[in-house]
Amino acid sequence: AEKSDTVVTWEDQQNINKFSKLNNRFHELEDEIKFAKETNDNLEDAGNELILTDEDIVRFQIGEVFAHVPREEVEIRIEEMKEVNSKTLEKLEKEKETVLAQMNELKKILYGKFRDSINLEED
Amino acid sequence: MASASAETASSSSEIATAAASPTTERRGIPAAQFVEDVQTFLSQLDLDVNSALAFLQERLQQYKLVEMKLLAQQRDLQAKIPDIEKCLDIVATLQAKKEGGEALTADFEVSEGIFSRARIEDTDSVCLWLGANVMLEYSCDEATVLLQKNLENAKASLEVLIADLQFLRDQVTITQVTVARVYNWDVHQRRIRQAAAAAANES
Repeated sequence: AEKSDTVVTWEDQQNINKFSKLNNRFHELEDEIKFAKETNDNLEDAGNELILTDEDIVRFQIGEVFAHVPREEVEIRIEEMKEVNSKTLEKLEKEKETVLAQMNELKKILYGKFRDSINLEED
Repeated sequence: MASASAETASSSSEIATAAASPTTERRGIPAAQFVEDVQTFLSQLDLDVNSALAFLQERLQQYKLVEMKLLAQQRDLQAKIPDIEKCLDIVATLQAKKEGGEALTADFEVSEGIFSRARIEDTDSVCLWLGANVMLEYSCDEATVLLQKNLENAKASLEVLIADLQFLRDQVTITQVTVARVYNWDVHQRRIRQAAAAAANES
């Protein structure tokens, strides 16, 4: 049986399309997760600096300016930001797992039908 | 699973012709025609293999151009959204300070690396930059409403843009698979011809 005899159905095409979209989303997620982790580190550093400083008024960046904010308020704000960021990171990690699982499912189906005629690996 | 796919395979030809072009185009992007059978496809286009491949390659180039444009728009929107959120944050902070009755002291950038201190007392209104060298004064509440609306519009535009990009990627994938199949079909045909010629020579 020659490779070129394999018929490509619309369903196959849709599977290939779906795999391509999932792969793109996977890479986007990796970038977003990296950014969220960096934000997390920055917030950690900020929190640590806050503990070390003995000033009562801290310059806290809001928008493009540095507002003079009392220390306790800054502490609360940073905690809130860390909360929000952790939740975002968790959501992204979960989505990444789902995407990977779906990709593996599709790989099984597509390799099953096309064997060597198709390559679904990362270059 | 196996029986279901066998069923779909037999009826797929009917479904496929109907579903082959679910949308003929989207926002000016032509949909790629899904090819059921390479032979029929080529006779339908009335092209030989090389011309067909050239046509498909050209389509891929066009798709690439549109993709560049859409990606640039996506980057702009993705930068704009955090900016609007920062503005909302500042307006909210000003309102909170007003309720507390205190002035807000802030260090702001006068020029690169040079900062100055400002004390913001009366915070009933803010000025919003609308673009085109126009800045308008709004009350804090009005400003919040406007910024919120801009944020929602930006997020909605981003969603539409992402859907467009996904549609585009599908068409690119379909076209790439068609190119591979046309090429393989051609190789297959050549082999048949060669085998036939060899058989003819022997006899």
